[in-house]
Amino acid sequence: MIISSTKPRKHCNLIVCRGCDLVVSKRALPSGVRAVCPQCHTPLYDRPYCAMNGVLALCITSILLYIPSMLFPVLEIHFLGSIRSSTVFQGAMAVWHQGYWVVGLGVLLGAVIAPAVLLGSIMAQMIIIQTGWYRTKFGRDTLNGLLRYHSFINQMSMLEIYVISFLVTSFQLSDFADVYFGLGTLCFTLLFVVTLFLQREYNLEHMWGYVSESDD
Amino acid sequence: MSVNQTTKARGVDIGVFRCQVCGQLNDQHDEYCVRCSSAISPRNYRSLQNSWALLITAAILLVPANIYPITTLTKSGIVTHETIFSGILRLVHADLVPIAIIVFTASILVPWLKVLGLAFYLSAISFNIPISRQKLMAGFHIIEWIGRWSMLDLFVISLSVALVSMGQLLDAQPAPAATAFALVIFFTQLAAKTLDTRLLWDQLDKNDDTP
Ligand SMILES: [Zn+2]
Ligand SMILES: [Zn+2]
Repeated sequence: MIISSTKPRKHCNLIVCRGCDLVVSKRALPSGVRAVCPQCHTPLYDRPYCAMNGVLALCITSILLYIPSMLFPVLEIHFLGSIRSSTVFQGAMAVWHQGYWVVGLGVLLGAVIAPAVLLGSIMAQMIIIQTGWYRTKFGRDTLNGLLRYHSFINQMSMLEIYVISFLVTSFQLSDFADVYFGLGTLCFTLLFVVTLFLQREYNLEHMWGYVSESDD
Repeated sequence: MSVNQTTKARGVDIGVFRCQVCGQLNDQHDEYCVRCSSAISPRNYRSLQNSWALLITAAILLVPANIYPITTLTKSGIVTHETIFSGILRLVHADLVPIAIIVFTASILVPWLKVLGLAFYLSAISFNIPISRQKLMAGFHIIEWIGRWSMLDLFVISLSVALVSMGQLLDAQPAPAATAFALVIFFTQLAAKTLDTRLLWDQLDKNDDTP
């Protein structure tokens, strides 16, 4: 085979599966279709580019929604004349102060910190790319560092699970108290929806392309 | 959509190493990735051992997570300790069956499936058990995808504890199993993330579905 004698960097139409190391030839895909490995079904690649303006718009919207969803209470209960409400952060701190800091930390990471880091990271990547900073060494190294942790942070962010969890909590508590949703609930749900679209629009492979582009 | 494969060749066979960080294809003589400068290794053999260690830790923690109470509920001065399972039973008795199913899936089904599934998967690599690699990998993808959903119960507990705090009248507090449960999620996710799945496919020749 000729392949082994040439530099692999030049094989733009070859791809190696992350899950099983199978060599597959890359070909054009119809839009909205994701290529999976024929052997182990790990996703290989999808559309070769992402709409930068779309990602930027969705990212700014998410950041704007993030602020009220953290400031306003997500749930409120009325019980025998007394009213209790809780924001996401207060929920995490409530278990932390009971001595269950592992649980509190988990809630804090999944619902507060990871989404913030994710949005901040995407925003920073967009700024580096749009302004052309990725051509400088500093910009390239920063972009490299951000992309390296992207999948990990993306997995840590658990907005969708939190949305289901306040629905479950509201049903559970409706047994003994009246449960009300507030402005925070609405903002948090919207944050989840917009972030979901952002994650679908964002393409990690495309972003890595900017790191190698500045290499030449 | 499945892409047509040209050969049965692996990256190692043709001297191309895929960077596990950024996906760049590198020459076998390269020590560091040309794109992201991370170290290149053909296989991470140590990941199997690490994954086993993390999984065993998670399996041990699964016991206290299930037998100890996960919340303490005070209602009109009466204190009840609730385990994961008794909490689900209470939901069933309160005619909240759909919610009970969601909690059951997130708190019992997913963690157990994750631990047993990963144990099976790791054994298949370690002891070269002849079972379909395709089915194993499909199971692994499912485990990776649903694993995070166990966090649901902890989110519910944190909200309940923050909201229900009216002293002797009505009060909810977390109990020891909550920490054990959080650690189970942490260790199983880490065990799945650490593993280099390519190790499974290196034993491909013997146990393959497709001719
Ligand atoms: Zn594969
Ligand atoms: Zn790399």
